[in-house]
Amino acid sequence: MVLVLALGDLHIPHRAPDLPAKFKSMLVPGKIQHVICTGNVSIKEVHDYLKTVCSDLHITRGEYDVDSRYPETKTLTIGQFKLGICHGHQVIPWGDLDSLAMLQRQLDVDILVTGHTHQFTAYKHEAGVVINPGSATGAFSSITYDVNPSFVLMDIDGLRVVVYVYELIDGEVKVDKIDFKKTTTS
Amino acid sequence: MVNKRVPDWLNSSLWSSPQPPPSPPPPSPPPLSAVAISDPPLLIPPPPAIARPSEPPPSSTSSSPYAHAPKGENRDPLTSSYANNTSVYCTDDDEDDGSPSYSAPSNGGDSGAAAPPPPAAQDVSRQAQILQELSRKVINMVELRKLASQGLPDGAGIRATVWKLLLGYLPTDRFLWPSELAKKRSQYKQFKEELLMNPSEITRRMEKSSLENHELEAGSPGFMSRSEISHGEHPLSLGKSSVWNQFFQETEIKEQIDRDVMRTHPDIHFFSGDSTFAKSNQEALKNILNLFAKLNPGIRYVQGMNELLAPLFYMFKNDPDEENAASAEADTFFCFVELMSGFRDNFVQQLDNSVVGIRATISRLSHLLKEHDEELWRHLEMTTKVNPQFYAFRWITLLLTQEFNFADSLFIWDTLLSDPDGPQETLLRVCCAMLVIVRKRLLAGDFTSNLKLLQNYPSTNISHILYVANKLRAH
Repeated sequence: MVLVLALGDLHIPHRAPDLPAKFKSMLVPGKIQHVICTGNVSIKEVHDYLKTVCSDLHITRGEYDVDSRYPETKTLTIGQFKLGICHGHQVIPWGDLDSLAMLQRQLDVDILVTGHTHQFTAYKHEAGVVINPGSATGAFSSITYDVNPSFVLMDIDGLRVVVYVYELIDGEVKVDKIDFKKTTTS
Repeated sequence: MVNKRVPDWLNSSLWSSPQPPPSPPPPSPPPLSAVAISDPPLLIPPPPAIARPSEPPPSSTSSSPYAHAPKGENRDPLTSSYANNTSVYCTDDDEDDGSPSYSAPSNGGDSGAAAPPPPAAQDVSRQAQILQELSRKVINMVELRKLASQGLPDGAGIRATVWKLLLGYLPTDRFLWPSELAKKRSQYKQFKEELLMNPSEITRRMEKSSLENHELEAGSPGFMSRSEISHGEHPLSLGKSSVWNQFFQETEIKEQIDRDVMRTHPDIHFFSGDSTFAKSNQEALKNILNLFAKLNPGIRYVQGMNELLAPLFYMFKNDPDEENAASAEADTFFCFVELMSGFRDNFVQQLDNSVVGIRATISRLSHLLKEHDEELWRHLEMTTKVNPQFYAFRWITLLLTQEFNFADSLFIWDTLLSDPDGPQETLLRVCCAMLVIVRKRLLAGDFTSNLKLLQNYPSTNISHILYVANKLRAH
């Protein structure tokens, strides 16, 4: 029962002042084992905040990140699943699912977590699953102004993953989930 | 002011050595520590002692309450402490003659030099007696308690069965045993399933009928649809009734229990070490303590409960009967609950200062001491100002498990559990006996040395302590 937080595209302070208060009140330290950040946090202070939520932070570089030492892509293994992280601005066309599938095959991971579009998506194809947690602050993107703050929490339990999607709609936190499992061990 | 003299039986030459040439009062600890240090070669350290349950008895200490002479020649690990003990408490200011103390009949009144009564015969008869008692159709609890209070032999799973009877886990009617055991064991299994599941499994069970379960390798590419969560259950939920929230709140207790179980009896292979056996035992202990904490939200888990649990689990797991040993966890759980029901007040902080709390119990011990040995009481409380809380707290809450080695504490528990009035009464008497036995050293010592002595109670012959405790009952 491993809890993995996936979020990104915070754009603090350039496009948003902070995470929504309701999100912040839920992100209490001690519950989450890993944090995956797709990028564009932008400044170090946010990086430090994410570290307080959980010390195991994996982050990739977005085009607005101040710290240039973040890698472009990252892979890690949690339980039976291989996860890959990439911000997504490198994959053209932005948000194109086939191109992302290509990246996923390159990285050879079961779950690819990307961002940049600021829209939540969860897409399944033969090579695996692509999850886009959206923007945790609801910051505007180059594509659209109308962004709902959202992030994703994955509960990895053996061969099964439950993806809880947290979205702030009209000031209320709405939680949905997506259930999927692997049939073979990696 | 009525001057309560030390009772005559205490003054008998049994407990004291003949007065050696009067030496200027040396600080008592050094010669005694010299004595103690010479003794370890005789005292077999715990690990081999733990192998004892599988060794055939007879343990001769059970016959000792009736024999005033220590059996010097006896090499049973249990009684090797005998040998050690005679010198420790008898000779306040005796010099150590270096020879193995048990062959030193110079220790006055213990005329152990006389041929020791045949321990084996007496003990075998006791074992037979107990077995006979146990094999009756309906067990006579009064009789059993009497037999148990003198100490139980180690073999044939006697202790495990007797403890189960004494704690009320097994009914007195033998015929009902199988059904009772089966019932309780399945109940335990149910408890575990309900209460020790982690939230992922709980949520999975809650929506067994859930449909949208995508499989990674199968199916055509497409967007995965989102489904509603049931009852607002998600891992970050802050709701009071949320399974997840409760789970995280209990992590603190879980971690505490983890730490304490790791620290239980590190010197005994049964409990610690890297073997799978030790690990599975630790798992069992953790399960029991977690379950107890969940079922008793009023008291939860308090440090020290692991020490009370350890002897129970040890006995039941080492039961030669295979079936019993396999279900040791379930049996231990219920017996632990029974044991705790008598002592839970000691663990509740709010009750500390109340009539039933630990402070009250300690003051009862104090009164008991005053009744039986006013001189010692005065010396301890007034002159040296050794507050009984400093030593008695651990004695009482942990039922003396920390004061003696594991094997000895099992003996003490035999007596404690066999008391029909409940272990508390006997416990206080045993503590009083412990104080009285070392009275010479206490009377000669100041605050520091007394405290040191009482917090590291010297290794003593257990049956002797029990004998003295029994005598206190009469008075």
